Amino acid sequence: MAAPGVVQPTPGPVTAPGLRVFVGRPTASPQEAANWTRRQVWANNLHSIVGRAYPRVRGLTREPSWLVFQMLLPFLTTSSFVFVYRALDAPPAYIGFVVIGGAMTAFWLNVVWMMAAQLYWEKDQGNLELYFAAPMNVMSVLVGMAVGGLVMSSTRAISIMFIATVVFGVSFSISQWALLIAVFVLTLAALYGFGMMLASLFVMWGREAFHLTQLMTEPVYFVSGLNFPVGRLGFIGALAIALIPLAVGLDAMRQLAFVSTGPTGTPEPWVEALILVAMTAIFIGLARWLLHSMEERARREGRLTVRWR
Amino acid sequence: MIDTNIVDRTTVEGNRFDPARARGRGTTDLVRSFRTAAALGWKMEANWTDPLLFFIYSVAKPVASALILVFMLQVIAGPSGIALRPFVIVGSALWSFVVSGVAGLAWAVLDDRERYRMLKYIYVSPSSFLTILIGRGVARLAVGAMGAGITLAVGVVVLGVPFEPLAVNWPLLVIVLVMGVVTISALALVMAAICLQTRQESWDYPEVVVGALFLVVGAVFPLSVLPLPLQVFGLISPLTWWIAGVRQALFPGGPSSIGGPGSLWQQLSGQLNPSAVQVVIALLVSGAIVTLASAILFRAGEARAKDRGLIDRTTGS
Repeated sequence: MAAPGVVQPTPGPVTAPGLRVFVGRPTASPQEAANWTRRQVWANNLHSIVGRAYPRVRGLTREPSWLVFQMLLPFLTTSSFVFVYRALDAPPAYIGFVVIGGAMTAFWLNVVWMMAAQLYWEKDQGNLELYFAAPMNVMSVLVGMAVGGLVMSSTRAISIMFIATVVFGVSFSISQWALLIAVFVLTLAALYGFGMMLASLFVMWGREAFHLTQLMTEPVYFVSGLNFPVGRLGFIGALAIALIPLAVGLDAMRQLAFVSTGPTGTPEPWVEALILVAMTAIFIGLARWLLHSMEERARREGRLTVRWR
Repeated sequence: MIDTNIVDRTTVEGNRFDPARARGRGTTDLVRSFRTAAALGWKMEANWTDPLLFFIYSVAKPVASALILVFMLQVIAGPSGIALRPFVIVGSALWSFVVSGVAGLAWAVLDDRERYRMLKYIYVSPSSFLTILIGRGVARLAVGAMGAGITLAVGVVVLGVPFEPLAVNWPLLVIVLVMGVVTISALALVMAAICLQTRQESWDYPEVVVGALFLVVGAVFPLSVLPLPLQVFGLISPLTWWIAGVRQALFPGGPSSIGGPGSLWQQLSGQLNPSAVQVVIALLVSGAIVTLASAILFRAGEARAKDRGLIDRTTGS
């Protein structure tokens, strides 16, 4: 019998099959209530992913200025570099290089601003402590951020690719479609894995996070060979291919999309695909470990939820 | 009922109530607000790390931007591209200043509204909101100026850009720099007004807008390579004249971004390149129009934000 004043939980109304796991149910003890089945844990984490991706996907329709600022204007920025090559009478493939680079910057900017720096913003807004307190794996928040971010930046990347290809008449010469698609998917996986890893680091670095986002734009574009073949950078280019997913992904995609440009002095696309697989595994593994460490630290010291530091 | 003690205290000789405290002290207050906002902006920009690290972060971005263009030249033009380096490096360095300056005010709005949630308090304080915003933006302008200066120095020392201090047209340089700063601040004000209306994701809006302007101002390639309608936009923009003026002052007789064979400028004026006086007049006129328009747009944006309750809105995604 329940103690006076304590309301015994009763099975709530079940309106949809998937909701049953979240409806209060009578249990013999609090321990039993907290002891979730594997299915409940997975369903909960999946809901967390959807929940975290939702504001990003839904937000697309709620900010009309987005259409101009994220779709039209970035195309003009990309066009500037196209005109630099036109002024220099560069071969047409280089204009294609710029267009692919412009499209991939959409993902990179999203990774830097809305993945890497996001947990830091969340800390400032007071959400981070809620993430730690919620009964879920915090990795699902990062995955949700990545899924939502991918949808957001895809609109920008597709618009740049489409408009620039039509306006500047870029002609691709692709012989290995499957490998190109695989490299593209692997690049996104590695990029967002990288962002998930940086998210935890940025929270630990505090206020420097904002300035680090600045450091991760043009300097990274340069060493990644955003508008020119990264192989021309020699050792710096090789280092970038080994460390930065944007560099290796861009180079592999360019080799596959413009076969006629010949050797670029960088590894074959299939080798770069393997590098991307390794990067994805390492970045996501490190992201999990860093997040776990941060969660431990947050619970032990209570400092990571202190805002504006 | 009046508390006579208060009246007595304020009328005691030497301790009179100063009506200016309620009415405001005009220019003195404005200067004080501006100074405080500028100092706050600088502290927010610079006090998070040691000076060396701050210096590296501040110059890495503009130097990398210039290097991207230098490598593009190198890849396509080879050794003959060296002649074009001064053109590209000056344009790139000045552009980093524009990016920094325009972003400063917009980020001040987003910082104070979304992160520190102080915008509403600043807005209702007796200080002028516009003055505070401009003061906050000064710090980023200073960082941008430092980055531009270092980029030019790297261009001269490392990349072999020929620079003759005695050949520089210093009066022209000073005049166009001053007018350029005013124009950039005006554009920054427009971005601040836009960011007052938008959500947290607008952090990269200033960069995106400036990136789009990059196409039409002749920063790194001459306007003559653009289609005619885009050249018209370029000639209207004060930033085009600013960059051309600085280029002309630093490297007199060098290639112009505005003129050249087949350019719209040549078709309209019959001259190959604009003279220094023409550049200054065009910058003055276009800059004045942009500055006036920005003041109107800012006031309209501010009124709309106040009307719709956007000043204390915080968002996230």
